[in-house]
Amino acid sequence: MKISVTQKHYNASAIFKPLMHHAKAIGLLILTTAFLVLPAMAQNITVKGRVTNENNQPVVGASVIVKGTTNGTTTDADGQYQLSAPANATLVISSIGFPDKEIVVGNQTTINVSLTTRTNDLEQVVVVGYGTQRREAVTGSVASIGGDRLREVPSPNISQSLQGRLPGVEITQTSTRPGATMQIRIRGLRSLSADNNPLIVLDGIPFMGSLADINPNDVKSVDVLKDASATAIYGSRGANGVIIITTDKGARGRKPRINYSGYHGMQTVFAKYPMMDGPQFVALRKAAGQYTNGPDEADDINTDWQDLFYKTGMVTDHSISLSGGTETGSYNFGGGYYLNQGVVPTQQYKRYSLRGSIDQQVGQYFRFGLTTNNNFNQSEGNQVGLYNTLSMTPISSPFNPDGTTKRSIRMILDNQYVYTRDVIEQLQDNNQWLNETRGFASYNALYGEIKVPFVEGLRYRTNLGLNYIQSTNGAYTGQGVGDGLNPTTASAASVDNRYTYHWVLENMLTYDRTFGGKHTINAVALYSAEQSRYNRSHMEARDIPADAFQFYNLGQATGQIQINPANQDYQVWGLLSAMGRVMYSYDNRYMISATVRSDGSSRLAEGHKWHTYPAVSVGWNISNEEFMKNISLVNNLKLRAGYGQTSNQAIAPYSTLGRLETRPYNFGPSTYGTGYYVSQIPNPNLGWEFSKTFNIGVDFAILKNRLTGTIEYYITKTEDVLLRLGLPQTAGVGSIASNIGTTENKGFELALNGTIIDNSNGWSWDAGINFYVNRNKLTSLASGQTRDESNWWFVGHNINAIFDYKRIGLWNSSKDSADNFMNILEPGGNVGMIRVEYTGEYGADGKPVRAIGPADRQILDVDPKFQGGFNTRVGYKGFDLSVVGIFRKGGILFSTIHGSSGYLNLLSGRRNNLDVDYWTPTNTDAKYPKPGGIVSSDNPKYGSTLSYFDGSFLKVRTISLGYDFSRLMRNSNVKMRMYFTVQNPFVLFSEFHKESGLDPEPNSFGDQNVSSAGAISSNQDLLRRLLTVGYNTPSTRNYIIGVNLSF
Amino acid sequence: MITTLLVVLFTGCSKILQEEPRSIYTPEFFKTEKGVLGGITSQYAHLRFIFGQPYYYNTLETGTDEYTYAQSADANFRDMDLSGVGQITPASSRSDVLWGTAFANINTASGIIENAAAAGIPAALIAEARFFRAFDYFLLVQTFGGVPLDLGAGELKFNTTAYRKSVRNTVPEVYTKAVFPDLITAINDLPANPRVTGGVTKTVARLYLAKAYLTYGWWLQNPNNIPTYPASPRTDPDGHDANWYFQRAYDIATQAIDDPGPYGLVETFYDLHVGGNDRNKEMLLYADHTQESEFYNGSCLNCFGSEINNPPTGSNSAVWMVTWNYTVIRSASNPDGTGTAVSSVQREAAQSLGRPYIRMAPPVDVFLNTFSDKTLDSRYDGTFSTVYRGNWPKGGTTNATLYNANDMPVTPGQPILSFLEDDSQAGSIVYPTGANFPGKVSNGVGAGVLPGRADFVVHPSGISRIVFPGLWKMGVYRTDNGNGLGQPNATSTRPFKIAKFSELYFIAAEAAVKGATTVAGKSARDLINVIRARAGKWKFSNKNNAVFVQDNSAAMVAATPATIDINYILAERSREYFGEGLRWFDLVRTQKWNELAGTYRIGGAAYGNHTPQTVTRTIEPKHYLRPIPQGQIDGMEMTAEEKQAYQNPGY
Repeated sequence: MKISVTQKHYNASAIFKPLMHHAKAIGLLILTTAFLVLPAMAQNITVKGRVTNENNQPVVGASVIVKGTTNGTTTDADGQYQLSAPANATLVISSIGFPDKEIVVGNQTTINVSLTTRTNDLEQVVVVGYGTQRREAVTGSVASIGGDRLREVPSPNISQSLQGRLPGVEITQTSTRPGATMQIRIRGLRSLSADNNPLIVLDGIPFMGSLADINPNDVKSVDVLKDASATAIYGSRGANGVIIITTDKGARGRKPRINYSGYHGMQTVFAKYPMMDGPQFVALRKAAGQYTNGPDEADDINTDWQDLFYKTGMVTDHSISLSGGTETGSYNFGGGYYLNQGVVPTQQYKRYSLRGSIDQQVGQYFRFGLTTNNNFNQSEGNQVGLYNTLSMTPISSPFNPDGTTKRSIRMILDNQYVYTRDVIEQLQDNNQWLNETRGFASYNALYGEIKVPFVEGLRYRTNLGLNYIQSTNGAYTGQGVGDGLNPTTASAASVDNRYTYHWVLENMLTYDRTFGGKHTINAVALYSAEQSRYNRSHMEARDIPADAFQFYNLGQATGQIQINPANQDYQVWGLLSAMGRVMYSYDNRYMISATVRSDGSSRLAEGHKWHTYPAVSVGWNISNEEFMKNISLVNNLKLRAGYGQTSNQAIAPYSTLGRLETRPYNFGPSTYGTGYYVSQIPNPNLGWEFSKTFNIGVDFAILKNRLTGTIEYYITKTEDVLLRLGLPQTAGVGSIASNIGTTENKGFELALNGTIIDNSNGWSWDAGINFYVNRNKLTSLASGQTRDESNWWFVGHNINAIFDYKRIGLWNSSKDSADNFMNILEPGGNVGMIRVEYTGEYGADGKPVRAIGPADRQILDVDPKFQGGFNTRVGYKGFDLSVVGIFRKGGILFSTIHGSSGYLNLLSGRRNNLDVDYWTPTNTDAKYPKPGGIVSSDNPKYGSTLSYFDGSFLKVRTISLGYDFSRLMRNSNVKMRMYFTVQNPFVLFSEFHKESGLDPEPNSFGDQNVSSAGAISSNQDLLRRLLTVGYNTPSTRNYIIGVNLSF
Repeated sequence: MITTLLVVLFTGCSKILQEEPRSIYTPEFFKTEKGVLGGITSQYAHLRFIFGQPYYYNTLETGTDEYTYAQSADANFRDMDLSGVGQITPASSRSDVLWGTAFANINTASGIIENAAAAGIPAALIAEARFFRAFDYFLLVQTFGGVPLDLGAGELKFNTTAYRKSVRNTVPEVYTKAVFPDLITAINDLPANPRVTGGVTKTVARLYLAKAYLTYGWWLQNPNNIPTYPASPRTDPDGHDANWYFQRAYDIATQAIDDPGPYGLVETFYDLHVGGNDRNKEMLLYADHTQESEFYNGSCLNCFGSEINNPPTGSNSAVWMVTWNYTVIRSASNPDGTGTAVSSVQREAAQSLGRPYIRMAPPVDVFLNTFSDKTLDSRYDGTFSTVYRGNWPKGGTTNATLYNANDMPVTPGQPILSFLEDDSQAGSIVYPTGANFPGKVSNGVGAGVLPGRADFVVHPSGISRIVFPGLWKMGVYRTDNGNGLGQPNATSTRPFKIAKFSELYFIAAEAAVKGATTVAGKSARDLINVIRARAGKWKFSNKNNAVFVQDNSAAMVAATPATIDINYILAERSREYFGEGLRWFDLVRTQKWNELAGTYRIGGAAYGNHTPQTVTRTIEPKHYLRPIPQGQIDGMEMTAEEKQAYQNPGY
């Protein structure tokens, strides 16, 4: 097998051009197919056996099917089955709650099958994109986890359950609000400012929605494709890795079965933000000497505004499904309900989901099917923020002398509205303060498949994906709500509508056969087209006469109605692709997979729209060699290596065309005009960003499969990185979308799973750990420069490096200041201020030659040294206890609340402050500077340097105790398990947690949940790429009780 | 078969790869008539991002004789003071506001000038773009020295390339290639009457050309040997000398006075600044705002606004910086000065009050010297908020009477705190040592008492970095307060004044002082007297909050010295334009910065400080040019040496 791996760029835009290049791959594919299509005959034999689970209990109702046929049966109450199959056939065994398993009959007449949820089982089926493979045959880098393992961490969306479970898959919180999704990075950041999100594929169709749209209870397995040879088949969409989610479908010939799972729990605040109490605040205000008490403040009051604010949250989830099959078809229908009321008053997220799938064989050659995933979700209360509560002076009382609640607190410079949970809930009840986002999403896939007659193993399939995603936000703020000063501030309402229509059409020709028991071939040719259309409309109005109207009729507004052009949007993008892939294995010993794909994207400039790229990977199952047969220690040993390209088109549509920004203006009080100026210039040369990945891996199983593992090493070099390049102001234009620079990700991944006690006296103990290192750096900038200070890009450093001063302590004392030339380094400074490193020269007299300035800014790499996760499960009889955790070593934790942008560490005594150890004449070795010292933008000078903490931590995500009642119901069809789970029980080894008590996981992007993002840099792009701890809804500790039931 | 199928599909789907934006404009739109018109609107709109921006405003006032930093000032303000509490650096200098706004606008103007003719735009409209291109270059050259004329596509050409280098032209090149030719064309092509409210006209262009000639004349003369950058001999490429330019400045300014079009001086200084009368006939140019439309105002009308948004939306919050925290003033609820300490002057969206930021304070000599005449001259009363009146019922406090200085009763509308006009009663004033008198809850701000007066008082020499008169002339003006405090936390909806007709008199007078030959009736003294005569006319007294009609014109003219010199013109300019963001340019142009602002006096930053301290500034020759902003230096693709050479010397 050899496939041309030449990579070509196209200059002409003719439609046939790309095709001519695909022709090479396609032609080869057809040739291969034709050559291999030979009639094959085999004798049928009778196979029987028993299907059991990990605990040797019978699996009732599991389906056993001869692969690629409708011939199948189900297991009885003892887990027994019997069927007739060709000697060279492959059996597919599937059951709800377990990954599918494939076993080659190979003349065996008794095949006992143990189904397991363990991820490293060699016979487990792995979804590799447009096909499946037994894990044994996989040559690319694919990490998998079954649905049951995922659900060990009960959560509203699987990204939370996946966190720390798969090496190389970094999943990080971006928000702690109910219903929030996570950021997923597979093997690090490739792109500087383009999208780094992986592609999600749901049941074979690229998925437009977010992981929050998928009910975790429906998930059968998750497979993550990490290297280029594995993702190549998805082309540009898979540039950042692919997450393939397979949901439970019914199995043929299986009796109807009902599955119910549900949990209910409560949420408490993981840690309050560490604000000062009354006496501490009085002391700070005195130390700063800048502000006196406001009218509502008195030194003898001590109010904890957070206690008055948070409530105990609640989370509940119910999911039910019905599945089954007939001899020629299968079905699965289900519905779910999820509700999370957060710890912040009125914040809640709920989701109703409805799902169905049908698969039907018609006659001998035709099969069709439909899957549909629909959900309606609603999130409320996102307008409720924490800044007011956190910054509220603790030396004021929320109550008037008569016991009523005050409307606002008058501090010395600020009048802050009183937000306690009673007030907020009252406002909601009175229709005075609401914010609701209602979303509806429908993801549908239709497919039809024809088995080509007379050519065994050749199939043609068409997939049609039709998706519709809609969300509507309505917000209403009643008169005076939130305005601490003016109770008559006009009410405001807004409506925001967003729609996405997406379709994808795929035509696929697959050839899948085994010859002579040794040659297995799978070839796929694919052509696909897809298009997405997005539209957003936003309007807002002032002065709604009646609160009851909320946001339902903006036309009734007596004030201004505004439709801001900046808040309207329309985007259409399309992608055309052709692809061919051949996977071949010989005797389960030698495997090769080769792919060629060509993508054409609407987003790139004319003449640069097409890109073609190859990928190839090989594998060698050493343990299947004769010479290994006698080495009983090693049960499996496989080497894999792959090389390939992927490409990325992830810039916003229309980026190559340039852009005008609008500037509204008034000529006199009531004559208006809208101005335009060039904010982004066109780039007629903008082409694909592409990555070349080399991947090498070893899979092994030793000690009777009790210890299994995978080790991988990879290098990904990304070229022509797409980004928006900020230009110097003298260019007269803001920025340009550009291919600039190269990046590199190098990494090492290790996953180990062991059975420490294997069913000894009823005890079992499994443990798994994964560990990964990703070294990310920028390797060059197209300009040839090594530093781009305005964009914070530095060759040899992390893509998302920070460029700031390096704090080395404080100017502790006057002696220290005199000895170290504070007068030269910090003119206008004061003792007790933050001391940053001076990188300049010293004169002959030993004195620094200049003051500290921009030249002293340094590059701070943010990436961790390594990270990973661990899980362990101890079982005894029907009991099981499992623990799942994550860890991270090194890197920078960016806490915006401690730095300048949070405005919670002003150290001026103006508003409440974080409870920090600050400098005073009697506490000179403090970490934080002198209150009332030199300031910059309201904050202590160099205050941004207080944001940076050591990023190390270890966090136990869940501890779960379960009991399997099925043991009590032997030989019954009923399966039931109950469990009790604690989420986020504790954090260890974290500098940040030790100091503040807070959760060290990020909860915001750098420009969110801050008061003044510009306090660090005026370039918003820099901040958006950083994950930070800001004053978002606090992390919670959850206590959950749940049940899984099927019958 | 498959190939055929694919061919069919590819052909059918080729549309998928085409793009057609429907919600954004691309630069192609600039080639249409509506695009060009939008570009011209953007020329006006860009003014908002410079004028009213509080940090930029600070660069034009802090460090001059008009303002120093105040109690709550951060480094943005302290750095500018040059008094040892900070330093002006490329990273901290807030002249970046101008740099960051001007070049994009210059480029848009060049785009209009290049595309307009093809789009059928008349010359009068193109002239508006020429005016603004010259306007921006004039601001830049005064602030930074020589600046680049080539943005990447050639000198004064519309750049659409990703040009990441830059070469600075010299000062004479900027004037003679950009500022003068554009303004001459603009004078020629612009209409006499504005196309739109606030639109530029021949008269506006004449003001700027006259001022540019005057400024360039001074630059050629360079009396105090201030260095320029990039290095350039003080000779004119067009072969003229300083005197030629002073004469041209005089000629054009007097021509504009004689041919004013719809412009002229308004009746009184009060009329010029009272809220609601902003777009009067004296106003030549302003950065407009409106209370009528939040969208076109560019900033929210009913919110707790930020002084600048990120990204900036062009809001006008300059006056916040110079407003002290009068809301700390307390009056007592009990007749003996005890009981509840009531905030008697609350934060209100009123011209004399507004939102306090306490970033900039006027030094003592503003009141003792610049505005020494407070009786004849209406400009002191028309510039400052000096009397703070009780407004507590508007904030919901129900006490009918409160007890204030000397425990005397006060009612709403009565003075609670007054800044005295002179030091004559200083000996009689009793000040507390801190914020309050012992045993009293009233005061709160360390103000003094005079026997028999119910209002607290501060004498001019007793002002401090924390208690000082506000800037009434720029105070907020809203019509939607109802009976309450309104929206004092929103940015100002008043236009920010940039240029007035009156300045033509000053320019002509200054040119005359510099040696221009004058015409009859338009000597320097004659011209200044026009301004002074108007300043003598009273219509309303802010101090007494009452109508006060009086004409002191004759006395004002009589008090004008026989010989007008530069220092007198500068003093008169400060009286006329105090706090309007002209001062730094005036002092730099005339090279009088160090002489007039080298020292100042003001009290300390704590309540109860009433003894002025003399502060010396270190104003070096290098400071006459602001540093090139760090963002520009960072953003250029040049070697470290080239970047250093790009920066102004000493930074």
